[in-house]
Amino acid sequence: MFGYIRAFKPYLRICEYETYQAIYCGLCKQMAKRTGQASRLTLSYDMTFLAMMNMAVNEIPVKARRERCPVHPINKRLCVYDNKGLEYPVDAAAILVHYKLSDGVADGGLAERGVSRAAMAALSKGYKAARKRCPQLDEQIAEQMKLQLEYEAQRTPILDKACDPTARMMQAVFSSLSDDEDKQSLLGRFGYQLGRYVYITDALDDVRKDRKSGNYNPLLLIDGVSANGGELSSAEYRKIVRFCENAVNLTLGELAVCYMQLDVKMYRATLDNIIYVGLKNVFELVKKGKFSKIKRNKEK
Amino acid sequence: MTSKDPYQILGITPNASEDEIKKAYKEAVKKYHPDRYQDNPLSEVAEEKMAEINEAYDEIMNMRRSGANSYDYGYSGSSYDVNYGAVRQMIQRGNVTDADRDLDSVPENSRNAEWFFLKGSVCYSRGWLGEAAKYFDIAARMEPNNPEYNAANNRMNMNSGGYMNGSRDVYGAPRAYRNGDDCSNTCTTLCIADCCCEMMGGDLIPCC
Repeated sequence: MFGYIRAFKPYLRICEYETYQAIYCGLCKQMAKRTGQASRLTLSYDMTFLAMMNMAVNEIPVKARRERCPVHPINKRLCVYDNKGLEYPVDAAAILVHYKLSDGVADGGLAERGVSRAAMAALSKGYKAARKRCPQLDEQIAEQMKLQLEYEAQRTPILDKACDPTARMMQAVFSSLSDDEDKQSLLGRFGYQLGRYVYITDALDDVRKDRKSGNYNPLLLIDGVSANGGELSSAEYRKIVRFCENAVNLTLGELAVCYMQLDVKMYRATLDNIIYVGLKNVFELVKKGKFSKIKRNKEK
Repeated sequence: MTSKDPYQILGITPNASEDEIKKAYKEAVKKYHPDRYQDNPLSEVAEEKMAEINEAYDEIMNMRRSGANSYDYGYSGSSYDVNYGAVRQMIQRGNVTDADRDLDSVPENSRNAEWFFLKGSVCYSRGWLGEAAKYFDIAARMEPNNPEYNAANNRMNMNSGGYMNGSRDVYGAPRAYRNGDDCSNTCTTLCIADCCCEMMGGDLIPCC
């Protein structure tokens, strides 16, 4: 969806990295089958994390083999194949991408509107297939999307409220990973905090752009940031960063509590890397303005 | 309606159970019964007191029977608008919406430390951590010696300083691989040390 949830590669062992990459490539192949060739372009690291959590919670082992693909025509890549754990993340991602694009059509700039509309058309078949398989998830996300538009129109200054719809979407996505009721609520809380992290990080990433365009961004409404338009002063930006750090740390602290309670066994080292190092690393990059929006969904 | 709080007259809290109310009433009646004050100059006072007790008892029982366990007299010094024990139970059972509605019905000028703590707990259950941290902080400031409020507040402070449960087990060292500069790590450590000191009654950083 955004690409913020990713491993910090320098601290992955080679075997962990290979599994991570094989799941990424396996998802891409699965998308071609399940939601159409065009959907492969929407592949993100967030999905890889969702797939890995799915496999960890349901204890699904992976089998991988070397395969060719259009993106890497020369060297064969390790791909996870024949894995039930890949199916739900592909459907969930198709639904999430659909609503993200519809949001772009509704309130993006002229260029964004055009691109979003074209992309939506190209992906509509895959989305419809996914909706058919996960009607409940689709409903929940549609409902939260409506609330998000409502809160944006209200220009709410409360960050917790602004986060709520995104967080609830992720809550819905993650709670469906298990059939066990207790686990569902724990996974839901885990997903909720992850959604908060994504929202806050994205808001910080967009804060300068939103200031220029006059778009709603809750971070522009905190104390100490002038209500007038124009460039953000560096003092104001520092204030926003401090505010975000506080909010992200609170969120990650709670995320870690849920993660420990879930106590997954498989893929633990890679999941630990993402939760304890990867998320903080991405936030640091965003803070320094070094997180490239264009490259973030590319594999390397 | 009396001008005094009926619960105060019987010397009980609004959280008291029906049995406790009856017991308190019986004791009060024994104490002020007119038979005890025959040929006593205090008999008139005792009679007045007795009437007050009866009235208070009737009022409480009527209120409970009609199902309204919240009321507002508007006299100063009391804020028994909502039964906080019941709100606590609602939060524990996960009934956050009702708990929040009851809390919001308390007028702003009679919100005490417990109110802020419970409001924080409601926010926390919802995952609204920023608001929860704010309310816990207020509760802990209003009643600095309450261990419950302090524990909640310290936990939020620890998390907002960058603490993550379980991170110690990853790569062996706490926050060793955090991608920040060493200075911010030192600050975090100091903040946590400060929290710990405050828990023990001391203070490492006097300003926070």
